[in-house]
Amino acid sequence: MGVISALGMWGVVVFPIDHFLKEAAQPAGDIDWLFRFMSFFSVPILVYVNGFLIYFAIRYRKRPADSMEAVGSPIHDHHALEAWWTAIPAVLMLALGLLSYRVLPEYYGAQASTVTMEAIGHKWDFEFRYPGLKQSVYNDLYLPVNVPVTMDITSSEVKEEDAVIHSFWVPEFRVKQDMVPGMVVPIHFTPDVVGTYRIICTEFCGLGHSDMWGKVHVVSQSDFDAWFSKQQHQAASAGPSVQLNHGDAAAGQALFQQKCSTCHNAAPFDQKKVGPGLADLFDDPKHPMLVDGKKADPADAAAILEKGYSGVMGTMPNMQANGLSPADIANLIAYLQTLRK
Amino acid sequence: MAVADVAHAPIGHIHPPPETFVQKYVFSFDHKVIAVQYFITTGLFFVLAGLLAELMRAQLAGPNNHVLSVTTYNEAYTVHGSAMVWLVIIPVLTGAFGNLVMPLQIGARDVAFPWLNMFSFWLLPPAGIFLFGSFLLGAPEAGWTEYPPISLQEPAGTSMWCVAIFLIGVSSTITGINFLVTIIKMRAPGMTWTRMPLFVWATAVTAFLSFIATANLSAALAALFIERVFNVPFYDPSRGGSPVVWQHVFWFYSHPAVYIMILPAFGIVSEIIPTFARRPIFGYKAIAYSSTAIGLMSFMVWAHHMFTSGLAQWVQLPFMALTMLIAVPTGIKVFSWVATLWAGKIRLASPLLFVLGFLSTFTFGGITGIFLASVPVDIHEHATYFVVAHLHYVLFGGSIFGIFAGLYFWWPKMTGRMLDERLAKLHFWLMFVSFNATFLPMHWIGLFGMPRRVATYDPIYGETNLFISISAFVLGASFIVFAYNALKSAMNGEASGPNPWGARTLEWMIPSPPPYYNFDRIPIVLAGPYDYGQPLPYRDVPPEYLTARPLH
Repeated sequence: MGVISALGMWGVVVFPIDHFLKEAAQPAGDIDWLFRFMSFFSVPILVYVNGFLIYFAIRYRKRPADSMEAVGSPIHDHHALEAWWTAIPAVLMLALGLLSYRVLPEYYGAQASTVTMEAIGHKWDFEFRYPGLKQSVYNDLYLPVNVPVTMDITSSEVKEEDAVIHSFWVPEFRVKQDMVPGMVVPIHFTPDVVGTYRIICTEFCGLGHSDMWGKVHVVSQSDFDAWFSKQQHQAASAGPSVQLNHGDAAAGQALFQQKCSTCHNAAPFDQKKVGPGLADLFDDPKHPMLVDGKKADPADAAAILEKGYSGVMGTMPNMQANGLSPADIANLIAYLQTLRK
Repeated sequence: MAVADVAHAPIGHIHPPPETFVQKYVFSFDHKVIAVQYFITTGLFFVLAGLLAELMRAQLAGPNNHVLSVTTYNEAYTVHGSAMVWLVIIPVLTGAFGNLVMPLQIGARDVAFPWLNMFSFWLLPPAGIFLFGSFLLGAPEAGWTEYPPISLQEPAGTSMWCVAIFLIGVSSTITGINFLVTIIKMRAPGMTWTRMPLFVWATAVTAFLSFIATANLSAALAALFIERVFNVPFYDPSRGGSPVVWQHVFWFYSHPAVYIMILPAFGIVSEIIPTFARRPIFGYKAIAYSSTAIGLMSFMVWAHHMFTSGLAQWVQLPFMALTMLIAVPTGIKVFSWVATLWAGKIRLASPLLFVLGFLSTFTFGGITGIFLASVPVDIHEHATYFVVAHLHYVLFGGSIFGIFAGLYFWWPKMTGRMLDERLAKLHFWLMFVSFNATFLPMHWIGLFGMPRRVATYDPIYGETNLFISISAFVLGASFIVFAYNALKSAMNGEASGPNPWGARTLEWMIPSPPPYYNFDRIPIVLAGPYDYGQPLPYRDVPPEYLTARPLH
């Protein structure tokens, strides 16, 4: 058992965690170290408990020669032994507590940071706000490498039905924080490996929870500056205008399956999911209430896709949140028109 | 010895047994019949909730499956979790095992309040109907924790869920009070606290936890129900409520509830190990007092479920420290059990096999619990499949293995018949291997980035999930072996006699199944129950039951 334990402990020390899940930000290395520390001491406990179970069950089994009345040793307890197996776990726990305490301030302690930004959870998008940028960025977070970040984490509470708890998790950063409506929690980390990583929502937030993920792009400072000035430039120019006549219905159908079908059926108005069914969007008399009581035409539908919607029917994110380009909107409109009765 | 004199009154002077079918089997006051009612009802819920789990695994077998719609999938895991916790594990360990074994082990003729006991059981079927019936109105989707605000936005089924869990809470509180009074007031003469069987110790602590903690859950549920139905904002942040309040109150109940779900299993293990190792339990007092310590500490660790909820650091630290501290009494128990096997004359019968499985899987689950207690590591692991894996190692590897160990152990006492040992061993190995194959890989995919409560996932986890799903189907099939074994035993099982395992606690000193009113004369207890090799420490037990000797 000593040999198996030693092998297991050695395995824990050399196991390449980084190979399976990159350590791409500042607290990650320390957290993996804590994980290794715990695994290191868990291995002998597991090996010895299971080993003794198996060994005793075989070594002290009742043998055919033993009488039916045969009994085992009458020993009730052994104080020295009990003291050891109380003291050793207690000392290990104390050590683990102190080591964990040492790592904690990396998340929550104040530190000099050069980027302070906001992350806001929506159904079902991550919104990011940068200082000096008028519009928000959705789902694609860009961060410069080796620059400490303070991220103020919260959830949308603009509309009652949009206010739910999400959670912001970047596995490669070992960073996670619930996005709670009505609460702003600042967390700290420093991305230190260039690459693209996943942002995953880990708190159930409704129908789109499974698909609520984004990307964080850790890039060099110069790439970041280039991206940032492009964003500023985009904000300065007027919103995109949509050319409705050139849509491709087939592309629109594929896009509908990918982006819209979580909330909308390609079925009559009454077959609601989160939003109404969109099959007879341009003919059904129930639909016009979507656009101020008039019958919908393609331009109205395009306006909703572009600007989003918030009203009696519920809430729909805008084109940035949904990741739609003007061409995408044209394709979707073309597809929706093929659904007419 | 005035107490003993009263207890010695022949039973004819107390109550005649019931005669009609309804009195006997439906609205029975007899703790043994109520126990069987609990077993059958929770068994049915176990099958239903288990089938939901298999449906979920069918959906998760591939990364983008459409076996279930996303909504149905969300409903399935919520009802699965709620049913397993509240309709299966808690009632089977307290209502079924507590009722079947505890009064017999303390030498009582019934529990203190038989009518309340019956009432407590009859809250269970309506709770089940409300919970499974919620599918008709749109079942809850946010998992068994039902965090607001999302739980405020769900369809009407969530209100039914509130009612169902509230009913269970009332039932659990009543049973807690009933068992506490029974254990405090109705022990046979001579049974001091340190002569009580360890299952009774575990039941006493569990009853205390149910009695104190469950009211908090009821309050949280009542507030959720009122907010949903009457629109009074307790939790909705956009109208001045706080969603984190729910988390605090919910976990203030649900962490003690974790121990409500494991302490009776500890008790079962503590009975089975000395019986089959044929030697005294190692460290009786250490095991009894560590149960009590765990019970008390369980009220001081709830916020370790909330390390990513935005608690201040000074709040996180004491909760981390106290959580780690619980590992110490838990370790004492595990080491004492292992030490009981040392220098025994071990009979490797099916109850002990399940206990060995319990010790192996529960130790693993306990250790991953320490991983989750460390705040920085928990921040990474929280709400991933690592937590799903840890939870199943504790509640399945712990509680369910303990439940089946207890079932195999007390089945002869309950029915008077033996189960088939070969089938029992087949059941164990199928269950043990497929359990580990199902839940061990979940640690891996959780650590490497798979969140829980998702119906579709990144295809990089596809192969592991397919393996998990196949294992889960085998795990489900293993219970068919048990069902067949139970049926076979009921039809033509070998008669067990009063004490087939040669155990020494009081329930084995009477016929199997026990007669109405259990004991002709209340026995007098002279010493603790685990001194194998010594004469039995009871007076006034008919001599034919005193020759305790195992069948095989």
